[in-house]
Amino acid sequence: MGKVARLARERSAPGQLVTIRGIRNGLLFVLAEDATIAELIDELERLLQGSEREGVGETAGVTAYVDPGARRLTDDECDLLRGILTGKGNLVVKGFAGPPAALEESVKQPYIYKGTVRSGQVIEHDGDVVVVGDVNAGGRVIAAGDVVVMGHLRGFAQAGAAGDAAAVVAAVYFEPLQVSIGDVTRRAPERPSRGAEMEFAYLEGADMAVERMAMLGQHRARSAARRARHSPGER
Amino acid sequence: MGEAIVVTSGKGGVGKTTSSANIGTALALMGKKVCMVDTDIGLRNLDVVMGLENRILFDIVDVATGQARLEQAMIKDKRFDHLFLLPAAQTKDKLALSVDAMHKIVRLLKPQFDFVLIDCPAGIEHGFRVAVSAADQAIVVTTPEQAAVRDADRVIGLLEKEQIPSPKLVINRIRPSMVRSGDMLDIDDIVGILSLDLLGIVPDDEHVIKAANQGEPTVLRPDSRASIAYRNIARRILGEPVPLMNLDEEAGFFRKMWKRIGLG
Ligand SMILES: Nc1ncnc2c1ncn2[C@@H]1O[C@H](COP(=O)(O)OP(=O)(O)OP(=O)(O)O)[C@@H](O)[C@H]1O
Ligand SMILES: [Mg+2]
Repeated sequence: MGKVARLARERSAPGQLVTIRGIRNGLLFVLAEDATIAELIDELERLLQGSEREGVGETAGVTAYVDPGARRLTDDECDLLRGILTGKGNLVVKGFAGPPAALEESVKQPYIYKGTVRSGQVIEHDGDVVVVGDVNAGGRVIAAGDVVVMGHLRGFAQAGAAGDAAAVVAAVYFEPLQVSIGDVTRRAPERPSRGAEMEFAYLEGADMAVERMAMLGQHRARSAARRARHSPGER
Repeated sequence: MGEAIVVTSGKGGVGKTTSSANIGTALALMGKKVCMVDTDIGLRNLDVVMGLENRILFDIVDVATGQARLEQAMIKDKRFDHLFLLPAAQTKDKLALSVDAMHKIVRLLKPQFDFVLIDCPAGIEHGFRVAVSAADQAIVVTTPEQAAVRDADRVIGLLEKEQIPSPKLVINRIRPSMVRSGDMLDIDDIVGILSLDLLGIVPDDEHVIKAANQGEPTVLRPDSRASIAYRNIARRILGEPVPLMNLDEEAGFFRKMWKRIGLG
């Protein structure tokens, strides 16, 4: 995603009408709330000019998301914006409701690490991580998605490292020093692991809870329902 | 061609030097040609434990910097003709022994000996990297304490990076009574955390301290428990399937360990 990051860096500055941000799945176009649609269209045209000149420019094929802020876009306005983004930038417009929920858009293959993550070692991946082995005290696993340990989790696990509060940390023997999900970090529960029964940690608002693995399906359904209620939905 | 084995631990004072001296002497006792190399520059101990301090003329840094030839620095043991020590320097700069120089020295030693035993300094900095760089195999020493096990785990990770794939574990200073009362990590727990092959367990034994003060490795006294443990370790390195010793009156205390005994 080098080109995307470059575009985002070169062409956005604070106070602009349109701010382009590189996100995991593509580009996010953040529209200033106090600008008129006409101003925004002008600004987008200006920003995407280079891409057009370069033909199959650097944004060609890249997925775009539009973040309209608090404003409500009419269907016509959406069509106008889509026209510019696809026409001038060759972008694939995925939605007008802000950045995608990380879980739904997680396209990355899970990373499967076979072996012991020992003290001082860090396993980091932009998606789910499965450790087939132990994570020892002092070892770290950091995942944009879920962390699943098929052994003892004695060290540090961070799920949803890019902000996904719906991510979970699961382990057969759940005895971590610390667990982070999204931006919430908690010390280990001061109780012996039930052992031989897989458990996972998840966020309940700002609280972290630990539950038997068998409950993961229900947890997923609950958080999906909650997300559907709170987001305006794609158009 | 001999094998170079580094004895390392991460944490200090857990018994690297004691283990080097005793395993080296035990292998010599079994007729193997052994050279022990002390890489703990500035804190050399192996010569003291072996009772060879007064014979040092040159040291490993002299060899590394070309002040002395390898043969001039190697000290023959008092008891065995085929046991040698290459002592560490006591006063010179730690950085004077480089990875390259260590490689050269070990490459010269390996054809002359069955085993080159490298006593590693504590820590994971320069001295550790030098000691480990020339080794084919590693013995990781730990004690039944959380901190020592944690450091051993860190070191095992670093050994993997250095392409020393499956180190062997020695658990030193075990006290059966404390293990039984739950005041000490038990062997199963330690092996479980570190997931390594167990090469041996050595009891906490006052003979070890007495022997070190007399410059006579414990392993030469057949009546001490630590001596038997170190002899067993040497036999396992030579490939003999020696069961773990029963440290406890309670029969079967270590029986479940059988399947985990690692053989060199
Ligand atoms: N099994 C044992 N029973 C009793 N005492 C022991 C045993 N093993 C080691 N010791 C004692 O522990 C102390 C430290 O041992 P040793 O010098 O071998 O450790 P080390 O790991 O080489 O230390 P350093 O990190 O400083 O090089 C010594 O006084 C030694 O006699
Ligand atoms: Mg030492």
